[in-house]
Amino acid sequence: MNETITADAAAARPRADGAEQGATSRQASAIEMQGLHKRFGRDTVALDGVDLTIEAGEFFTLLGPSGCGKTTLLRILAGLEDADDGRLAIGGRDITEVPPHRRSVNTVFQSYALFPHLSVRENLAFGLKMRGMAAAGRHAKVDEIADFIKLGDLVDRRVDQLSGGQRQRIALARALVCEPDVLLLDEPLSALDAGLRSQLQVELLRVQKRLGMTFVFVTHDQQEAMVMSDRIAVLNGGVIQQVGPPRAVYEHPVNAFVARFMGHDNLYSVTGRQGSRLATALGELIIAEAGEGELLLIRPETLDLLPGEVAGNNHLPAVVAERLYRGSHAEYRLEVGDTTLQATLNNRGRHLPEVGDRVTVTVAPHDLVTLSE
Amino acid sequence: MRKRTLKRGLTAFWWATLAFLYLPLAVVVLFSFNAANSAASFTGVSLRWYYQLMGNEAILSAFANSLVLAITSSVIALVIGCLIGYGMYRHRHRKLGWLIVLIYLPIVLPDIVFGISEMAFFVQIHRLTGLLQPGLGTMIIAHVTFQIPFVALIIYSRFVGLDPTLFEAAKDLYASPFKRVVHFMLPTIKPALISAFFLSFTLSVDDFVISFFTAGPESATLPIYIWGAIKKGVSPEINAIATLMIGAVAIAAIMSLLFSRRRHA
Amino acid sequence: MAYNGVMPSARSRAMVREARHLLFTVAPGAIWIVIFLVLPGAYLMGVAFMTNGPYGLPEMPLSLASFERLAGFGFLGWSPGNLYTLLRSLWQTAVSTGLVVLVAYPIAYYITTCREKWRPIMLLLVVVPSWTNQVIRTFGWMNLLAPGTPLSGLAEGLGLIAPNMGLYPSNFAVTLGLVYNFLPFMVLPLYAAFEKLDTAQVEAAQDLFASPVRAFWHAVFPQTLPGLLAGIVLVAIPAFGMYVIPELLGGGKGMMLGNLVATQFSGGANWPLGAAGAILMLIATFIGLFAMRRIGKRLGGGEEVVI
Repeated sequence: MNETITADAAAARPRADGAEQGATSRQASAIEMQGLHKRFGRDTVALDGVDLTIEAGEFFTLLGPSGCGKTTLLRILAGLEDADDGRLAIGGRDITEVPPHRRSVNTVFQSYALFPHLSVRENLAFGLKMRGMAAAGRHAKVDEIADFIKLGDLVDRRVDQLSGGQRQRIALARALVCEPDVLLLDEPLSALDAGLRSQLQVELLRVQKRLGMTFVFVTHDQQEAMVMSDRIAVLNGGVIQQVGPPRAVYEHPVNAFVARFMGHDNLYSVTGRQGSRLATALGELIIAEAGEGELLLIRPETLDLLPGEVAGNNHLPAVVAERLYRGSHAEYRLEVGDTTLQATLNNRGRHLPEVGDRVTVTVAPHDLVTLSE
Repeated sequence: MRKRTLKRGLTAFWWATLAFLYLPLAVVVLFSFNAANSAASFTGVSLRWYYQLMGNEAILSAFANSLVLAITSSVIALVIGCLIGYGMYRHRHRKLGWLIVLIYLPIVLPDIVFGISEMAFFVQIHRLTGLLQPGLGTMIIAHVTFQIPFVALIIYSRFVGLDPTLFEAAKDLYASPFKRVVHFMLPTIKPALISAFFLSFTLSVDDFVISFFTAGPESATLPIYIWGAIKKGVSPEINAIATLMIGAVAIAAIMSLLFSRRRHA
Repeated sequence: MAYNGVMPSARSRAMVREARHLLFTVAPGAIWIVIFLVLPGAYLMGVAFMTNGPYGLPEMPLSLASFERLAGFGFLGWSPGNLYTLLRSLWQTAVSTGLVVLVAYPIAYYITTCREKWRPIMLLLVVVPSWTNQVIRTFGWMNLLAPGTPLSGLAEGLGLIAPNMGLYPSNFAVTLGLVYNFLPFMVLPLYAAFEKLDTAQVEAAQDLFASPVRAFWHAVFPQTLPGLLAGIVLVAIPAFGMYVIPELLGGGKGMMLGNLVATQFSGGANWPLGAAGAILMLIATFIGLFAMRRIGKRLGGGEEVVI
């Protein structure tokens, strides 16, 4: 399953082969994790056997609710936490036992962690200085990265004069200037307001594409994960639930947890099946690929509403219980017998049924997916 | 109306209290310039007591002792206290109650109990082993003991005020353990180090009781010398030394004011 | 899927590393305090239960003789001298602490009513005298209170003291010296309390209660209580153990417990008796600390009195 999706991703993704030979470009490195375990104290299991391969030059996202282990996994990659068991290799080199200051890995921290006793320029040069680069070389490198990230005159300010968004960019530049094999980002945008956040999402994505560097990104926001990532790993309870490109994870979640986490509510138990016919609380539905799963997922945007009662396959009679008009689209809560169903309709100038209207819900067989609990 | 009367009364009380606080010091300064050999009457301005100081071997050596004691003890306390402060921070999630008790002990113990305990102990150790001969060495030990807690608490609170991910950022940016100390920790806590050193220094210069009980015959500090002189009978010369010490404090006060102004600017 | 392995070696290595770090950072200071304060303190306690030797040094066998002497039982039967000293210490501590509160409370309040830019300077003015050595400050009072000075003359004129006696040495001079010495220790915590004062509560109280006295008592005073208690701890404990001020300003009739103890280790030379006095002082100190903590917890709301 993992392999097929990896292959898909490699085919689908515009490869960074032609990555600019810019300031900070460097051979990207793949990451291999095998059987990583981590416990805190006696009882808290943070990671329960993680096997994962992250391709070179990938924008890879670890997605999950708080406490799912995603941050622990990132910290193990950084070397800030030691795994209790398992192996970790970057670029083919085993670094399980290598301390953080000897790993060619840098982190953008959630709190940015800029050194308050240093100027912005000194913050940017810190990693280079610790690696023993001479002052002249550091200065040139810092100017180069400041140009690349478009920091402008921020370089000559004091840290306490910076806004949140500026700090975020300085933190990114501070990590990138070291030209690491892998860049780790720990919810770097979560402290910013919505507008700035989406602006920086785009900026971050562009930087990654231009550098062709391997990025590992941690977030709990599935929208953000889908916008940014080449591939996503969804974690829960220290176990990877699913790995794949955003479309695969969103449209073909492997289990109820992933489906719910990706925002799906229309999940129905399959009470009986006969070939491609499934019996559910909604009624009988025909599915293109029957699968083994005991749950049926119906994505709201795949539904269509016809006025009045129309008979046919995959035609369900329903009553509009609620309508949320959102301009570009409208969200419906429908009552089909005793069960409810969410539907989203694009606003393409057509008739939008009102609350109380009797309608018929239709869905194409190839839009239906079954999955296991 | 009543509010304004209250405010006026308080203002008067404030100035009266200031007079109360500075009167004894002012008298000392005034009489240090007194031409007469009397504390009761001021007969004219003269610098004779200051000239007398210059030639007084005992005072000069007491001054040197005070300085050596304050600087040496502050440096030692800074090193030891810094380590404890950092250890307390780094291991703050452990149960360190015993350490807190140990650290507060020198602060809450009455000076006199502190002083005689050490004196009695040092005397007996000296009788048994020949070590710890009363003198500057024993005084330094005693001063370091009461300075450590203050240094530790200042350093600890500085660390607690930091973003803990800064430590990780330093590791992440290729700083080895040694470089983390030199390039991250020490520069970050520099203001705390400076104020810890000056507090230690002030505590040392300010102390009389503990010095008095742990001193040897050759190691009198300025306060001990003054104490002895007072006990022998008030001499106007004491006013002159005391005035010099008050002057040093005044300079320190002005400097601290300027320092805090600059930091706020 | 659940992971049930034994404690892995990476983890135990990290624990060893952390333990070594704790030892390396904390041990030097902890050992220093144990050797140079805890051991001497323990030795002193032991001394209190030994017999006084011919040169004032402690000897075996163990006895309670020094406590009996401390209570006043000597070769010549019972005498109240030591008891008076103890009572005087308590009395001086109580009176001077009370006076310090009476002076410091309005001063701390006054500073908070002044403009913000003046406040640090005003606090500095209150604190600076305490930066000079205690001996020098006390010496200043000796100059001021000696026979023939204007202050003594005034007191004589008012008939408060006998002619040519001067205001020092006396118990009054000791009280004055204590108040002078400890005033800043009370102003600082009270100032901190006043600065945090919730003015909305005071205004509400002025609305609810007719008299300003009741408004103060119900809205202002409880809010300053934690600061007040902290100040009392900072003043009363060192005042009870004071040595310099009674020694210089008090004369023979102004002796406090600190002087009684110190004398046994210098001139008088009876170490066990002095050690017994020190134990008494320690007990008083810890009772004081404990009582203030208890009262502070009960009255101070969430805020604990921190020393």
